[in-house]
Amino acid sequence: MILTDLPGDLIRTLSMLVVITSVVAVETRRLRVSATVYGVQALLIVGLLCCFATVNPALYWWAGTAFVTKAILTPLFLFLCIKRTREVELPPLIGFGPSVVVAALLMVGFFRLTHSQVELLAPSPLAQTEAFRTNLAVASTVFVLGLYAVLTRRDAVKTVIGLCLLENGVHLSLVSLAPELSETALVGIATEVVVTVFLLLYVITGVYQQAGTTDTLRMRELRG
Amino acid sequence: MRTSILPAAAFLVPLAAGAVVFAAARLGRRLVQGVVLLASLATAAVGVAMADAVVRGDVLTAWGNELRVDGLSALLVVVIGVVGFLASAYSVRYVDQPDFQKRIGVGRVEHRLSIFYGLLLWFVGTMIWGSVTNNIIMLWVAVEASTLTSGLLVAFYWDKRALEAGYKYLMLLTIGITFALFGCVLVYAAAAATGTLTGAQPLLISEVRGVAGLLPPRTARLAVAFLIIGFGTKAGIAPFHPWLPDAHAEAPTPVSVLLSAVMIKMALYALVRTVGMFLPSWPQISVLAVVLGTFTMLLGIVLALGQDDLKRLFAYSSVSQMGYILAGVGLGTYLGCFGGLFHLVTHAIGKGLLFMCAGALIYATGRRKVSELGGLAAKMPVTGVCFFVGALALSGFPPFSGFWSKLTVYLALAQAGVWWAAVIAVVTSVLTMVALVRPACRVFWAPPAAGVDAPGAVREVPASLWVPMVALAAASLVLGLVPQIVYPFLDQAARVLAVMGR
Repeated sequence: MILTDLPGDLIRTLSMLVVITSVVAVETRRLRVSATVYGVQALLIVGLLCCFATVNPALYWWAGTAFVTKAILTPLFLFLCIKRTREVELPPLIGFGPSVVVAALLMVGFFRLTHSQVELLAPSPLAQTEAFRTNLAVASTVFVLGLYAVLTRRDAVKTVIGLCLLENGVHLSLVSLAPELSETALVGIATEVVVTVFLLLYVITGVYQQAGTTDTLRMRELRG
Repeated sequence: MRTSILPAAAFLVPLAAGAVVFAAARLGRRLVQGVVLLASLATAAVGVAMADAVVRGDVLTAWGNELRVDGLSALLVVVIGVVGFLASAYSVRYVDQPDFQKRIGVGRVEHRLSIFYGLLLWFVGTMIWGSVTNNIIMLWVAVEASTLTSGLLVAFYWDKRALEAGYKYLMLLTIGITFALFGCVLVYAAAAATGTLTGAQPLLISEVRGVAGLLPPRTARLAVAFLIIGFGTKAGIAPFHPWLPDAHAEAPTPVSVLLSAVMIKMALYALVRTVGMFLPSWPQISVLAVVLGTFTMLLGIVLALGQDDLKRLFAYSSVSQMGYILAGVGLGTYLGCFGGLFHLVTHAIGKGLLFMCAGALIYATGRRKVSELGGLAAKMPVTGVCFFVGALALSGFPPFSGFWSKLTVYLALAQAGVWWAAVIAVVTSVLTMVALVRPACRVFWAPPAAGVDAPGAVREVPASLWVPMVALAAASLVLGLVPQIVYPFLDQAARVLAVMGR
């Protein structure tokens, strides 16, 4: 594996764009825009995987699966669900201004933290080279932004978008952490995520039809 | 070690039968149910066959060590297989209930029932797959697959309550399980980086076990934290349990039986399989396990005491009982593992039984709140006896199996010197008795509360409902009277986990 072959500048640019799309997908309140931005992020991830695949051809499999599940199917399911429920997100628990500040702090703070502490996550020498350091830092930043969205958003569809970001974070980290994972495992992981998203959106559509809302705070039938 | 076809058959049979059921919707309900019963009986038989081999000291492998069945895996497969069969048998008449048919939509019954049974078989199949796989990533895939197959079963009634439970179930478990994926990948990456394993070996749990001590401590600590959050969420360990009472209470009863009696155990299995390998190098983990276990048992039972809804009450009690299993197995001593696994079996029997009793009450009266029921002892004698057997068994009352398994857990805690945990376990047991026997007395002996109109003509449930209940009650009694019949099996399973002393 010759690491100098990696297109470093391209990787850096794509990585930055992945982080920025995460913040936009979390912060925008128009759900269609959010879903579209998510789709864009998926394409960026496919691009990143192709970059890394120049040194590890096994990743072309991963890029292909990610393209089908993340860039096509997931946005499609999101659009179908948004069409049947509401188009504007319910106000989140935290106002727009503070939320952007928190997201920005999380983004910068986490990126720096993981970039400097990569050996904690990946003890292999390969993962500590620059391109893979960036990859891991981006992965954990996307993960944290997704977690933040899941925890503070009360619109059910938006929590699903947060969940997708969470998954994207983990999947990006596989490039550095598990480069030799078999194809069956990769396909298994990717398929399950898209099935999860489908089932969740299916149930949310059902909730909207029965209860007339996608507000997770008003799901209070079951208590005690 | 020997190669065998059994580990693959154990999960491929229910998965294939599930696919047949999906395809055979038009052929009528009875045929579908026949396929389900046959497939689940075959699965249970394969489990027993594996247990037979394992008790003699064998380890079964297949597909080049990709599947591996030792004592612990075989124990799980037997529990999942047998409870799966009994739950399927129980469901045959349960789905005839007018209320059930009304809730799933009259007119589409045949179609929806084939979905119900197909998912049920896939649910059982994916749980067994997780129990027999030796690949850490596939373990994760199987655990997540069992969430997906059961997600629609939880929301099966498709009304407001069921949908809310289904949403919470899928959402919380998926978030949790994503942490577990991160943990599994970290273990794999760290094991690969040690340089002692080659090719696909760092993926195989049995291989990684040998080098767990070589993993960088900080990475291992992070991985353990992620695995505990991830699999702990699915196992209903407090404070990650809030999805559990909703899902277990709102699912149709045969599904509740599977969720409470086996699914959370399978998740705990995934937890001890992965985190357990770090125990020899970092004994501090066992302190954490005992703290989490005692916290879970106490919180679960305190929340159970305030419940009026029978199914919610049992669900919270399941949280509490998972605490016992975790505290026992987490100790890492032979006695602790033995007691924890024994209690795993006890709880699978006892909680399966109690959920079936709740289902029988719903079947006969259409009600599930303790305050709306009363004086049913004469009308439903079999259900009454079974209910009391389940309640006493889980409270650790002789002569039922819970007495021995809980006693073993107490002794293990005391032997390890964590007296405070042993005291909490005993106190929780007393509270369990209050929480479970009090509603039993009210439902069967006390007259209905004033102001509650008695349900119409109540009769004992048909035999196909009470036979599985009586089978579980008998199992609980037999294991209480002659517990030594399962000792060789439990011994093999406990040896897999026990890392400190015999």
